[in-house]
Amino acid sequence: MTTAEEPSSPITDSAISVRNLWKVFGPASDAIVGTPLADLSRTELLEETGCVAAVNDVSFDVADGEVFVVMGLSGSGKSTLVRCLTRLIEPTSGQVFIEGEDVLAASKSRLRELRRTKFSMVFQHFGLLPHRSVIDNIAFSLEVNGVKKDKRHARANEVIELVGLSGYADHFPEQLSGGMQQRVGLARALAVNPEVMFLDEPFSALDPLIRRDMQNEIVRLHNDLNKTMVFITHDLAEAMRIGDRIAIMRDGAMVQVGTPTELVLNPADDYVADFTNDIPKSHVLRVSDISSPLKDQTISHARPVEHDAIVRTVMHRIMSDPDPISIIQNGQVIGCVGREELLTVFAEDVNEELKA
Amino acid sequence: MRRNLTRRMAALPLVAVAGLVLAGCGESVNEATTETATSEEAVVTEEETVTEEAVAEVAECGDWGVAMHGWVGYTASAQVITEVAKNALGCTIEQTQLEEAAVTYDAMEAGSVDVVIEDWGGGRWQEWVDRGAVQEVGTNGNVGLIGMYVPQWMADENPDITDGTKLNDYVDLFKTPETGDKGAWYEGPPGYTTIGEKMIDAYDLDYQVVSTGSEAALIELFTQATDNKTAALGYFYDPQNFLAQVALARVNFPANDWSSTEEASGLTDYPESPLMKLGTTELMESGSPFVTLLTNFSWTNADQNGVAADIEGGMTPEEAAQKWIDANTDTVNAWLAGTGASVG
Amino acid sequence: MKVWIEAHVPDFLRRKSVMIVGLLIIWFALGRIFKGIHTLDLGNSQDTPTTEVLGQFAANIRAARAENPIFVYVFNPFRQGIESFIEAIRSVISEPASGALIPFIGWLGVLALIGLIVFSTSNWRSSLLSMTLIFGCGVLGMWQYSMDTLALTLGSVVLSLTIALPIGIWAGLNDRVMKMIRPMLDLAQILPTLVYLAPLALVFLIGVAASTIATMIYSIPIGIRITAHAIRSLQNGPIEAAESMGSTRWQKLTKVQLPMAKRTIILGVNQTTLAALSFVVIAALIGAPGLGEPVIQALSIRNIGDGVTAGLAVVLIAVMLDRSTTAAVTHSNQLPLTGGELLFRRISVAVAALATLIAIIVSRQQLWAAIFPESLNFRDPIGGAVDTFTEWFTSTFYFLTTSFNEVFTLNILNPIEYLLADAPWYLTIIMISLIAAIVGGRAVALLSAVLLLLIVWIGLWNDTMITLTQVLIATAVVMIIGVVLGVMAGRNAKFERLLKPLLDAGQTLPAFVYLVPVLALFGPTRFAAIVCGVFYASPVVVRVVADGVRGVPKEMVEAAIASGSSTTQVVTKVQLPASKKSLLLGANQGLIFVLAVVVIGGLVGAGGLGYLVLQGASKPELQGKGLAAGLAIVLLGIVMDRIAHASAKRS
Repeated sequence: MTTAEEPSSPITDSAISVRNLWKVFGPASDAIVGTPLADLSRTELLEETGCVAAVNDVSFDVADGEVFVVMGLSGSGKSTLVRCLTRLIEPTSGQVFIEGEDVLAASKSRLRELRRTKFSMVFQHFGLLPHRSVIDNIAFSLEVNGVKKDKRHARANEVIELVGLSGYADHFPEQLSGGMQQRVGLARALAVNPEVMFLDEPFSALDPLIRRDMQNEIVRLHNDLNKTMVFITHDLAEAMRIGDRIAIMRDGAMVQVGTPTELVLNPADDYVADFTNDIPKSHVLRVSDISSPLKDQTISHARPVEHDAIVRTVMHRIMSDPDPISIIQNGQVIGCVGREELLTVFAEDVNEELKA
Repeated sequence: MRRNLTRRMAALPLVAVAGLVLAGCGESVNEATTETATSEEAVVTEEETVTEEAVAEVAECGDWGVAMHGWVGYTASAQVITEVAKNALGCTIEQTQLEEAAVTYDAMEAGSVDVVIEDWGGGRWQEWVDRGAVQEVGTNGNVGLIGMYVPQWMADENPDITDGTKLNDYVDLFKTPETGDKGAWYEGPPGYTTIGEKMIDAYDLDYQVVSTGSEAALIELFTQATDNKTAALGYFYDPQNFLAQVALARVNFPANDWSSTEEASGLTDYPESPLMKLGTTELMESGSPFVTLLTNFSWTNADQNGVAADIEGGMTPEEAAQKWIDANTDTVNAWLAGTGASVG
Repeated sequence: MKVWIEAHVPDFLRRKSVMIVGLLIIWFALGRIFKGIHTLDLGNSQDTPTTEVLGQFAANIRAARAENPIFVYVFNPFRQGIESFIEAIRSVISEPASGALIPFIGWLGVLALIGLIVFSTSNWRSSLLSMTLIFGCGVLGMWQYSMDTLALTLGSVVLSLTIALPIGIWAGLNDRVMKMIRPMLDLAQILPTLVYLAPLALVFLIGVAASTIATMIYSIPIGIRITAHAIRSLQNGPIEAAESMGSTRWQKLTKVQLPMAKRTIILGVNQTTLAALSFVVIAALIGAPGLGEPVIQALSIRNIGDGVTAGLAVVLIAVMLDRSTTAAVTHSNQLPLTGGELLFRRISVAVAALATLIAIIVSRQQLWAAIFPESLNFRDPIGGAVDTFTEWFTSTFYFLTTSFNEVFTLNILNPIEYLLADAPWYLTIIMISLIAAIVGGRAVALLSAVLLLLIVWIGLWNDTMITLTQVLIATAVVMIIGVVLGVMAGRNAKFERLLKPLLDAGQTLPAFVYLVPVLALFGPTRFAAIVCGVFYASPVVVRVVADGVRGVPKEMVEAAIASGSSTTQVVTKVQLPASKKSLLLGANQGLIFVLAVVVIGGLVGAGGLGYLVLQGASKPELQGKGLAAGLAIVLLGIVMDRIAHASAKRS
């Protein structure tokens, strides 16, 4: 999975498949895609036409149950991108397939139906209705879909349990802390049991400690429910923690798409490298990434580590054993990792820090 | 919960309406007074019981509006006819405070008021008569005379100041900050019949018109002028009870020979004019006994000044009118001739 | 040219203030030389070609009233419809039916009903306050008048809102609609109330209907403006969220936007109501029943006591309407009740409703509850006390008030009037346009010149300049008061708390009511009108300035103090310059408010355009001139507003 190859036609059996998506803001925004103007840089385009390409020829696929993180600085077009996927902002051109359905071709009423049943969204500033209680906020999408009050409250109560809001059903948003409010936002998005969830910087407005909590919550929910998620963030650490794959955006275009490890080990360009340099490799790499093949060395099998464990989390175990310890996957020993490999990783991290 | 709350709010008006309907079922003070005059209701007003007896033989009068104008003499006339109409004929009368002339005629055309009891303007209502909205109902017995006045002390000190053609000799007395090196000529309020500018022009008077805007301003002016012995030359008119309280002297110009402001040359003075009653066509053709009362209504300047004096002396207009009615039952009964009603 | 100026004119001469002072000196000199030439002075009863055309136009409309199909099928039925609506309300609370003694509900019932409505929309404290204030109207001996005013105000508000809310919502949602109606809303803001009356009376005649329609035209733009603002200023988050959940447009509006905008919309109701009340009082000039009647009457027969008493009743009603709607805003802002609290609240509302029902029934059956008891009516003593006080005040201070009036008139009013009105008209136009160019730029200067030329063409130049003189002087005084009190209030919270009730009263009291006492003090003079204008406009300017001063960042003030500035230096060098925008906004507001009142000043001898409007209303032969005067007021208002606006923008 790297950025190099772009399939030319959308893959209709993946959860989300996006091809050549454009969103141009400004006068005559229709007259840019497909012309030489489309190749201009952002500043040149602005000077020539007064237009800004917020989303610039983006293509990607998301597999079922995957957490796909879109990462970029503010102004990189990530929020516009996610809104184009559900047509909260109408894209200028391109193709978007969600669960095999051509979203851009959907009629207004079909689009409403999709929004009511298939996908849902969580917002940076929560977007809760201040005049409605927690339960009525959560039941809102069911309400607009015409679900009877008893039924929608029953469902809302289920989700309230799920996100840990028990006892707060009759509270109003302003009575809750930011973290709790975003739990309501999450519950609201989960209420319709959607196939795909879009989360637009859901934790950026929260305090760091609470942010950590909520990230764990997302990981937990994802493990329990296995929803496909598109998660927007400007925080690489968050992206690393949550994402199965991460797309880095810059000036509306996707610079690189890959797993956290790929990004850290093989940044596609200086821009990506600038981001990932700050990340200690030990925080990203998994033991399988630094494993040595099984030869005839002495291996301690007493306390094996799982192949996908983050290096940092198991360093104590590795260091405490004089011999390399075994790495297992599905119960099979697939390699080993010892002090030497570990120290190599740490040495690189320390080097980066000294450079900075 | 929230929903219930809003629903309850929505129900409120319903409850209110239901309540009103319920309340309406009960017997009210209104019915009580017309059905039985119990001792308690009799306290309401004495006239109310009078009404019961009088109304018996008189034709239905109806609801009518009487225009009220801003001078106390008018209030006196209007209040007397209102009291007689209410108490002797059982009419419902609503009085409405209005500027005179066009404003009032428009109100008559709209059906907001039906009667003007004292109108000074010679024929300025013609347009409304032509449109069939208003009818002349003859004179009310009062004779009006507009003029320019100075406080009596000025006339005492300067005997020929009351000769309008010699006003230029006294112009120094009347200079004010408002008018600079000219004398101040305090003109009547916007609605009143005025020809001051034409008079100044015609006699080449060194005066400038100051628009007072209201009669209160004129009364204020003359009161101050008399109390503080300051000079003042201003518009005033008779009958007006104020003339009995503060001594003013009329400044006379040569004789009177015109009836409307447009044909006035300015070389003449204001003429004496009989004051007119007006009614809406709707009223005049209604067959109401109020029409008879309005048509017959006529009294003297002295009558009007008497009632006006009582009002200015602190009586309410109702009390003052009733006092005059009680003292002049013969006159009032003559107005009521043919209606079957009477007072006293 | 520009280059030449930059090369040859020394720097200090290019500063705005220096240029304006220079212009004024030149103007003054030229004005002296050409004094009395081409002043376009016109006698009160003289017509011009334009006013004659307008007069003919008015006569044609009057002539068409009886037969023209537009009148027969549109205007007249519309008028009658409005009239029946208002009369229905009046028959419930104020006007007894034919042959009846009381309206449908007696005073006690009305009082209880008001209490119930306020209680159910806010709390018992506001409810009690409202009932007390309305009871006060009865104590003032103004029960019937007050009920008429209340009926007319509420009726107008209901009708206004049924138009203003949908249009406001539409304009809030749709940029194109907003763009289309904005110029109308802007114009409505600067139109003095008096200007509405004559043209409306021409079409809808005189009486309850005309007053209601005039009131609606005055209050609808205010309702539209605030409603549109309420929708526009909503946070986008919840709306986008609702959209992402598949709401239809209607669901988005009814479930998200309206509930969220509710608080601001109720504020709009508050503003609409107060505007309607102030207008209903003035509408007495075109036959509106109610508290305006005793005020007019007091003006014409010099009954200061009754005029002031009626004014007090207006204030009571205004405070009642203001407090109850504000309480409703606060209430709607609170979190909804749940559980036991809700039950308690429901029970208490039910009890209050029952008590109201009983009060209504009693008020229909018991005389003491039906007609406001004579023993509680203190109109005579209150009016008498006011009369005695005024009598004493005027006779004691007659010397002071007249001499102050005289000094002011001779030294300030007259010289400025000479400058504006007694100089050749073209000189005045050139000078005003030049000043407009300096403070506001070329576009505004051109607009001013064109509009002023229009006034010349209409033929009412001289009267317009007389009015302008009074407006400018009153505004200058207002600004002095506004800056002094505003800075004090902005710097000192305690002083502001002290000032607040006065400002509230000043803002709720209709300008119309000032006329009577001011007339008693200053006689029929232009000065009286200026005093009215100053009274009316000062509160709002004080508020704006105080807000501006308070809005100056604390660090700025602290930095100035830290670098050793004295209090005066902090005020003059930091707080005032930093709140320049508020000052200019205040000046703009002041101008508009003053204009509205100075025009009414025609009733107390101010002359000028206001007098012509009033004269046109009662003399059919001068109606054209009255309409023309109304038009000139509008043009003058636009000129002043645009100049003030542009200079505020430029700073």
